[in-house]
Amino acid sequence: MEIRTEQFVEIAKKELKNARNKQFLSVLPLAITISRPRSMQSFPDPEAANEYGRAVRAEAVAGMPELLEEFEKNALANGAKIVWAKTAEEANAFVLNLAKERGIQYVTKGKSMITEEMGLNDVLQESGIEPFESDLGEFIAQQLHKPPFHIVGPALNIPVEEISDLFIAKADMKEPTTDPVKLGYAARLYLRDKFHHLAMGITGVNMAVAETGSIINVENEGNIRMNKSSPKIQVSIMSLEKVVPTMADAMHMIRLLCRNCTGQKLSAYISIDSGPKKSDEVDGPEELYIIILDNGRSEIYQDIQAREALRCIRCGACLAACPVYCKIGGYPYGWAYSGPMGQVLNPLLLGLEKTQDLYHACTLCGACKSICPAGIDHPKMFLYYRVQEANSDKKAAGGFITNKTAKFFDLWRWGTTRAWRWKMAVKTARPFVNRYAKDGTINKTIKPVEGWFRTRNLPAMARKTFHERWAEINKKVTSDQ
Amino acid sequence: MSQSAREEILAKLKAAPKAKPAGRPSMPPLTELSWDPDQLIANFMANLTAQTGVVHRVKDEIDAKAKLAEIAAEEGLTTVIVSTDAVVAPLNLTEWGKEKGIKVLTAKDYTDRDAYKDAVFMEAQAGITGVDYAIAESGTIGLIHDKDQPRLVSVAPITHIAILPVERLRPTYERVTDIVFADKSNLPSQFTFTTGPSMTGDIQGGQFKGMHGPRKLIIILMG
Repeated sequence: MEIRTEQFVEIAKKELKNARNKQFLSVLPLAITISRPRSMQSFPDPEAANEYGRAVRAEAVAGMPELLEEFEKNALANGAKIVWAKTAEEANAFVLNLAKERGIQYVTKGKSMITEEMGLNDVLQESGIEPFESDLGEFIAQQLHKPPFHIVGPALNIPVEEISDLFIAKADMKEPTTDPVKLGYAARLYLRDKFHHLAMGITGVNMAVAETGSIINVENEGNIRMNKSSPKIQVSIMSLEKVVPTMADAMHMIRLLCRNCTGQKLSAYISIDSGPKKSDEVDGPEELYIIILDNGRSEIYQDIQAREALRCIRCGACLAACPVYCKIGGYPYGWAYSGPMGQVLNPLLLGLEKTQDLYHACTLCGACKSICPAGIDHPKMFLYYRVQEANSDKKAAGGFITNKTAKFFDLWRWGTTRAWRWKMAVKTARPFVNRYAKDGTINKTIKPVEGWFRTRNLPAMARKTFHERWAEINKKVTSDQ
Repeated sequence: MSQSAREEILAKLKAAPKAKPAGRPSMPPLTELSWDPDQLIANFMANLTAQTGVVHRVKDEIDAKAKLAEIAAEEGLTTVIVSTDAVVAPLNLTEWGKEKGIKVLTAKDYTDRDAYKDAVFMEAQAGITGVDYAIAESGTIGLIHDKDQPRLVSVAPITHIAILPVERLRPTYERVTDIVFADKSNLPSQFTFTTGPSMTGDIQGGQFKGMHGPRKLIIILMG
C-alpha cells in the first residue's frame, strides 16, 4: 500500500469538497454515537468495565516480553508454528516463500490491519499469487484500489452504483443492481468458490492469549472462519502488542471491543484457535503458522510514553468520535490506520517527519481519549510528538518551527510572564489590532502572525479590559454605598 | 531468519525501561452471574432474537426431532449435513432422515477432505449441530470443534440449525472458557462463539444477513 501521509493537507482539502463522503460522514457519527453508548449501557457499570479493560491493556503492554514468551511456549505446545519477523519485508518474504513452496495459486484473507501495514497483497500479487480480500468492505476497497475509508468499514462510503459496476466487471455478477443485499449475495457466491477450493488462508489476530497459546479472531461475516476451516494451511499474523495475559482478560476485552467497534454485545463470530487441526479432524489447517511481527514496535517500546500507543485494540471508536475525522474521512490519513488511532500510530511506525500533519490535525479536544477502552491518552501523545518535533533538529523536522515563530514565542513569553508587561502590551496593542476589525471581528491577517489567522477569526478587542472594568465598577459600587 | 529475529526482538523488549502499571481494579460485577435458570433462558432467548436468531423451545429429544422435521419442511430442506457430536449423535438423525425423506450427510461419509468440502459447500442446504455451551449474556452458542464437530458444518451451509440442551446454558463467557480451556494439555483445536447469523453492514452501512456464513440461525432449545 502506498504511504501518503505526507499529502494529508492536500487530500483533506479534496475530501472536504467530496459531497458524497461528506454526506456519509454526517450520518456515520450520529449512528455510532447512538449505538455505542447504548451497548455500553448493557454493562451494570460501564465506566468500571472500561477501567478494567484499560488496566488489562496497561498490564499487557508492561509485561509484553514475558507474555510473548509464555504465548510462544504454549502455542508451540499446541502444535502451532511460530515465526518471528523483525520487519514487514521479512514477514512478507516468509508468506511468499511458503506459498511458492506449496504451489499456492491464490490466497484469501480475513480483514487485517497488520497485512495492510505490511503491504502483503502487493507482494503476493507481484509474484503471481492472487490475494483475495474476503471481508466484503475490504474486497470492494481492494478491487477499487482504494485505501480503507474506515478501519471497521473500509468501503462504507462507496456508492452502490459503483459497487454494481465493479462486481459486473470483477466478481461475475450478471445484472446491474443497486440493492445492497443482491450485491452482497453476488460477492458471497464469488468468494464462496474461492473458499471452497482454498489451499491457504491468511488472517490477522485480534488477541493472542499467553496462558493458553491461543489466537482469537472477531468478525461478523464468517469469512475468517472460512479462512481457518477450509484450507490445509493457515497463516495468522499478529503484531507484538496483541498478546494478553489470560483467557478471562481476552473475554473482557472482547466485550469492550465489540461494543466499541460496532455497538454489538458480541460480534457474530469469535473463533479461538489453539494449534492446528488434530489428525482425526476433517477440516481446519494441518499447519498453523503464527507470525509475530515487530515492524518497529520493539523500538517504540524503548520509550515509556510512546509505548502507550501499543495499548490500541483497533476498535475504531475514536474515529467516529473525532471532529476532524468526521469532516475529512479516512483517506487523508494516507495509510492503514486513520482517525485518532492513526494519528497516534502512524507517526511512531512511519516516523514523525513523515506524519507531521497528522499529529497537528488535532484540537486536543480529548473526545477520543474519553471513550478509548484501551486507555490511550491521545492528546498527550500528540503533544509528546509535537514536543519531540520542536526539540529535534529544526531542519529535519521540516522547518515547521521557523525562526520567525520561535522569535515570536520568545517575545510572547517575555510579555506574558509579568503582569505589568502584559497590561502594558494589551493597552498598546488594542488600537493597533482593532484597526483590522470589521463588524466586531478580526479576520484579516495581522503581519507578524498572519499564519495564525489563516484558519481563525478573533473578536475585536474590547474597549476596556476586564480588570479595567472591574476597577471602575468597584469604585462606583463603593461610592454608591 | 526466525531464530535470530526472535532473540533480537525479545532482547530489545527486555532491555527497555520497565514501567509499573497502576495495578488492576477488581473485575466489575457481572449481574448475569446472579440469574436463576429461568432468567438465563429468558435472557438467552431475548439476546439471540435481537440478533435475528430464531429459538424454538422443546421438551425432549422426540419433540426436537419433530421440530426439526417442521423446520425442514418450512425451509424446503432436502439435503442436510449433520455433526456427530454428543448432542446430535443420540438423536440418530440418519434414521430420522430416512423417515422424512431427507438426505442426511455426515463428515464421516467421506474419507477424502475434498469430497467432504464439496458436500458441505455445494450439497448441504443446512448444517445441523449440537451446542457445547451457550451464553445468556449475549445469546451466544459455543461449539468445540473436533472430529465430531467439523468446522464447516456450522458455517458453510446457508442455514445453521443448532440443538441446545438447556442444562448447557451458562451466564457468562468466562463460565464457559473456564471449562473449555481447563486442560491445557488438550485444548480444542478450535472453539467458536456464534451470536446470530453471518452479517455485514459494509455497503453503505445497511445490514444484511448471510454474507459468507449462514443467513439463518435456528436454535432448538431442548429440555
